[in-house]
Amino acid sequence: MNEVRITATASVTGLGPDLDTTWKRLLAGETAIRPIRRFDAGRYPARNASWVGELEPGGDRSLLYPLLERLLDGFGPLPRGCRLVTATTKGCIDILERVRKGLPGDPSGIPVSATLEWLASRLGLDDPGVNISAACASSTIAVGRAAAMIGSGDADAVLVVCMDLLSEFVFSGFSSLQALDPAGCRPFDRHRNGLSLGEGGAALLMMSEETARRKGIPGIGSVVGWGAANDATHVTAPARDGCGLVQAVRRAMARASIGPDEIAAINAHGTGTVYNDAMESTAFGAVFGSRRIPLNSIKGAIGHTLGAAGGIEIAVGLRSLAERTLPPTAGFREPMENCPFSVGPVPQPIAGNYLLCTNSGFGGINAALLLKGDPR
Amino acid sequence: MTGPVVAGIGWFTAQGPGRGREAREFSMTSGPIRPVIREDVFPEPNLRFGRLPQYSRVGLAAVAFALRDAGMELWKTKRPAGIVASTRAGCLATDIEYYDTVLPENGGPPSPNLFSSTLPTCFLGEAAILFGLTGPTFIVNDGAGDAMCGVRTALETLSWGETDTMVAGHIDLPPGPAVPGIPTPHAGGLFLVLENARSSTAPGYGSLDLSPDGAVRHDGVAIDCLDELIRACIGRSS
Repeated sequence: MNEVRITATASVTGLGPDLDTTWKRLLAGETAIRPIRRFDAGRYPARNASWVGELEPGGDRSLLYPLLERLLDGFGPLPRGCRLVTATTKGCIDILERVRKGLPGDPSGIPVSATLEWLASRLGLDDPGVNISAACASSTIAVGRAAAMIGSGDADAVLVVCMDLLSEFVFSGFSSLQALDPAGCRPFDRHRNGLSLGEGGAALLMMSEETARRKGIPGIGSVVGWGAANDATHVTAPARDGCGLVQAVRRAMARASIGPDEIAAINAHGTGTVYNDAMESTAFGAVFGSRRIPLNSIKGAIGHTLGAAGGIEIAVGLRSLAERTLPPTAGFREPMENCPFSVGPVPQPIAGNYLLCTNSGFGGINAALLLKGDPR
Repeated sequence: MTGPVVAGIGWFTAQGPGRGREAREFSMTSGPIRPVIREDVFPEPNLRFGRLPQYSRVGLAAVAFALRDAGMELWKTKRPAGIVASTRAGCLATDIEYYDTVLPENGGPPSPNLFSSTLPTCFLGEAAILFGLTGPTFIVNDGAGDAMCGVRTALETLSWGETDTMVAGHIDLPPGPAVPGIPTPHAGGLFLVLENARSSTAPGYGSLDLSPDGAVRHDGVAIDCLDELIRACIGRSS
């Protein structure tokens, strides 16, 4: 298997237009969850979310495009033959909203293939690309597949672009499921009461170690393991025993040939819903036993960015490994019951070289990714 | 080089339901698809099926028929098989149905049941629960018009050793007059059961592999689109 390097990252979140800003504000414990101005949320019990400010309304065009422009602005050159993998759950869902409201909108832009075509053209790629949609684990599975493409020798370089918008479509749905915390989400807190939605994007350039070395690119870190598993239990609720997540994590560790003792910290899914956080606690307890491993969720700061979540969290996770610091979990005050890991309202040091990132979503989908930092 | 074996084929298209071992011909066109009812798929009552939108019913029916055709419908313990489907329009028909419950101002809350089906992967979750499938589960979209991305993705997944069995196929429903202008040339649901090592006694439909340029090959012959692949599989078994 070829070693899989991540050589460039970018992100756009409610906290900032670039990864540096998001990172600094994460470390400061700030949150971008605030009253919604994107649409009238007055009829819903919860009215807060995190969104990317000052996106220019695109007329009949989706807001996803100015978000992607912001994400890719300044992103470095791509190697010849670079493949394209994207991840999103609802893509240009705002076009459907416009069309159904009788506003100008081009329905041909709704299928994700239109966004793929735009991205390939914008980036000058020959590969028309493929999108992965796997609920809230979309990005994690996309990065895992990109790593498999490189690891197996099927590709030398892959750009993964992750994206999802804040829309009334999705907001109304989570509201109808009574899954939104009116006060803003509090992952792993004893008084957690639901999630907060967010929007954002991430771009990750991945290469084989040999390609990166040949091009003289130092890299940021490596993807050393990945795994995906369905818990086959319920469509919207996670399996209480965390069986799918346990399987995904164990597959990732097996791929990386490392044991649980070598994992220094976890960037969890951590939506702030009662059942998700309890499921993760149970699953990590099954894998790590009573070890108080440092763990965080950044969803209290940037909201739950759906299909983009894993991509943003991987970009932040690589920075965490580089800085040996796990950002705080915004909104966290008091540990949830039977909390076997260390969650902090302040940054935590990372003493080790491997970070576990996990995401879980509707349809029973669970995915795990193991990142290795570069030794200083 | 011999690749994974096609162990079962099932579909629900404009022509109605079908399975590989019962079929003499096959076509997946853009025509309308009649509503799928529980009796089309399951002989016994199924409480969840009646609550699913048409997109999920079509997909679930096709997965069920493919597993039945492979002799893999019944199970006792969960199995590490994955499911992947390509789609162009995804669950857009469900999205429209759901969003029309959001639009009325000062009305009641929108439908939570419909919302949970507005992810194109949700019927894969239903299939995972019904058939105990615990492998990777996801939807793929690309710009090609051959409806082969799901099969191609499954072949990659099998070749990478991520699992030994994949249920792979394609699903699309015409979005209808509410959102015109989105072509779905391969309408309906169609799935194949692909196995790295054939475990059941029933004969398969030949083997698939990927050529160096990414083309799907059936018994070594390059295939242009999903219709052609299914016809080749059925022709081999007859």
